[in-house]
Amino acid sequence: MNDSEKLLHLKRLILNEDWNAAQRIFKRLDELDKELPGKMDDIVTKRLDKYTHEIPEKLGPVITQALGEEIKNSQDKVVEALFPIIGKMIKKYIQKEIAILQENINKQLRGTFSIFSFRKKTKKGEPQTIELIKSDIEQVFVIEKGSGLVIGSYTKTATVDEDMISGMLTAIKSFVEDAFQGGQQSLELIQYELYKIHIQNFSSYYIAVVISGPADDSFRSRLEDKLFDFSEQYMKGEVDKLIIANKLANFFES
Amino acid sequence: MSVSKKIVLVGHYGVGKSSLIRRFVQNIFSDSYQVTIGVHILKKTVSFKGEEITLVLWDIEGKENINQTRASYLLGTSGFIFVVDPTRDTTYQNLKEELNFLDRNYPKTPVIKLVNKSDLIDVEEFKKVLAIQQLEMDFFSSAKTGDNVENVFMQLVTKMLGT
Repeated sequence: MNDSEKLLHLKRLILNEDWNAAQRIFKRLDELDKELPGKMDDIVTKRLDKYTHEIPEKLGPVITQALGEEIKNSQDKVVEALFPIIGKMIKKYIQKEIAILQENINKQLRGTFSIFSFRKKTKKGEPQTIELIKSDIEQVFVIEKGSGLVIGSYTKTATVDEDMISGMLTAIKSFVEDAFQGGQQSLELIQYELYKIHIQNFSSYYIAVVISGPADDSFRSRLEDKLFDFSEQYMKGEVDKLIIANKLANFFES
Repeated sequence: MSVSKKIVLVGHYGVGKSSLIRRFVQNIFSDSYQVTIGVHILKKTVSFKGEEITLVLWDIEGKENINQTRASYLLGTSGFIFVVDPTRDTTYQNLKEELNFLDRNYPKTPVIKLVNKSDLIDVEEFKKVLAIQQLEMDFFSSAKTGDNVENVFMQLVTKMLGT
């Protein structure tokens, strides 16, 4: 036995216990290394789930407070960002309501002072103005935005080519909306002599209604309600040209 | 009830877009040039595999580059016909870029590449010019003589509705 072999033998005798302990530690470490990811995943997932549920409760007040402070400190920026949107909505609403009010006043005045109008008493004794000129719906076109193709139409008198009309209306509408670059604004009315074309915009299509007669704002307001009702009832999912045409006829003749 | 399809003719001004549509729809031709302002719409009903197809044809004003065309005129198009004038190289020298524009923005819409005014040129000679520029065109037609006009539109219908 040489010196190095003697040294190794001596090491084994002296360090045997430590050696075994070290081996056990390495083995345990290997086991933990294999077990840990599985266990950690469960723990992390549970903690995340718990944290997600607790967010509204724990972070809600903090976020609200932070937002409140941020808004308070940046009032000008917030106002600047919201003003065009809210301002436009309010302006449009007020303009419309004032126009209706103005028309009602004018109608009352005309009814009172015009020699062409006369009054009759209703059962309750309230005065009622009888209109001499009546607005009437002549044609209705449901038109696909973009392509300008007719989805459905209703007309009292078939005089014009609906494909050409819908195409040209779409082209005019596109031109006006592009040319004036009014952001999200849309063409809503075309007027020519005794007729008006009321345009009601929806997301993928628009409805153009040709009206004869004065078609004041209150008439158009009622028409808008009617068009919204029609859209809600019949323009969902797949639409068939013939079915829409029939629905339009039933809807607007009733 | 027939199916309706929107077709837009695009290309530079003066390439003969309006003349092609008038030849196809009304079978007429006029030598006097009238600039299209905005858009002019015509329609024609054709028969395809026993079905009536209404083609709503948008004749839009010519632009020196298609990216100057109002996007709203091109929306919802079922098929494009890109028209060039072989007598004016400016109408086809950027053809690849202009076709790329259509492909990028309307990837699913078929395009027919058309050389109009074929009565004014030697078609074989012009094909050599196109070959040098590595351009491939689908049809040669003449709105003046009516040559191939009907075929162009029917080929587009076939592309739109499938063979």
